[in-house]
Amino acid sequence: MTIHRVIRKVQRFEGWFGGSAVLCLIAGLYLGLIGSPPDYYQGEVVRIMYIHVPLAHTALLAYIVLTIGSLWYLWKRDPIVDNMCQAVAGLSAVFTALALGTGMIWGKPTWDTWWTWDARLTSFTVLLLILIGYLMLRTFVDDPEKEARYGAILAIVGFVDLPIIHFSVEWWRTLHQPQSISMRGVSISSGLLVPLLFMSVGMSLLFSYMLMVRTQLLYLDRLLHAKKGRLLSQFHLSKSDS
Amino acid sequence: MTNLHIRWGGVCIVAIVLIVLTYDHYRDNLASLAPQQVRQEAPKGDIRVLGMVQGGTLETRGAGEATFALLGEHASLPVHYEGPPPDNLRELKILVLIGTWNVGAQVFEARDIGIVPNYGFIAGAYLLGLLPLALLLFAMTRRVHFLYDEIKASKLYEEE
Repeated sequence: MTIHRVIRKVQRFEGWFGGSAVLCLIAGLYLGLIGSPPDYYQGEVVRIMYIHVPLAHTALLAYIVLTIGSLWYLWKRDPIVDNMCQAVAGLSAVFTALALGTGMIWGKPTWDTWWTWDARLTSFTVLLLILIGYLMLRTFVDDPEKEARYGAILAIVGFVDLPIIHFSVEWWRTLHQPQSISMRGVSISSGLLVPLLFMSVGMSLLFSYMLMVRTQLLYLDRLLHAKKGRLLSQFHLSKSDS
Repeated sequence: MTNLHIRWGGVCIVAIVLIVLTYDHYRDNLASLAPQQVRQEAPKGDIRVLGMVQGGTLETRGAGEATFALLGEHASLPVHYEGPPPDNLRELKILVLIGTWNVGAQVFEARDIGIVPNYGFIAGAYLLGLLPLALLLFAMTRRVHFLYDEIKASKLYEEE
């Protein structure tokens, strides 16, 4: 039984991902809240970066996983991959919403506004809307095969938004600061960079762990529904026989 | 007690330790006094004082020296500042000063000037970022345990 084997394999690594996520996040939180210096310009409020940036990075990572999974599903029609795609979409929506929320909180003391129709903020909101649309589509289509196929197509089309999010701070004049870590180098001091790296790695590991748990959850949910459906049809068959 | 409860108990203990450490750090290194508290308590050593630069009192001498009055709700402090040239030092601006209270001269000797920290925003962002994730993860792991038990009970789950 291949599905069962995959789930058992995933479960074997699950604890490692969860444990390393907790360790990295503890180190990141300690360094970010206590160990790191305040920023020369922003002061103490720069500490919001250690939660906001990792959440935003993880939201983008989650969407990349969703796109790869969707391409894989359209190619192989593997139900396990579809299950994973559904799991990752929900998590991606949560991470995107939290990144937007923490960004709004950071925006108030630095820009003196909770919200502005800035290119980065708007393109990130579009990502959240795409994910909400994906989840709604998966809820409202009855045929499971069609549901998975339409979802995969929507996720692939929605990928267009990712380069827009990434390059928005370069293409347009935005309030949002440009990237601190890019191919051109690192523009923040090591005192701020180390906790940011710990939190980013920790958040990515936490996402991986949550993805494993959620994939299992959706699989088990379907299994139980299938079992209940089978029991119900057996009951009806035995009733009609008698 | 199940494995799930032990694991989440550990996470809760770690979270509580982190919160206590952060609060201690805040109380010892970041919390600031008001000008009237400095006058009443005359604290020794390095302290942080929060107040507004009183209008018409700021006098600068060179790039890194200034005198002004720091206004609180019920009292003001004469301040003598010597240090790196401050970008934020302006009249009517609310600031945090780091330095020592000179009881004899009744002057606050400031050596660093910072902008007002927004700890409420920081705490809010961390709570918003981490709490929903922790609750979602807890709910998911609990549901997985529940589903496993349910499937085992319904005899669908068979070991390979």
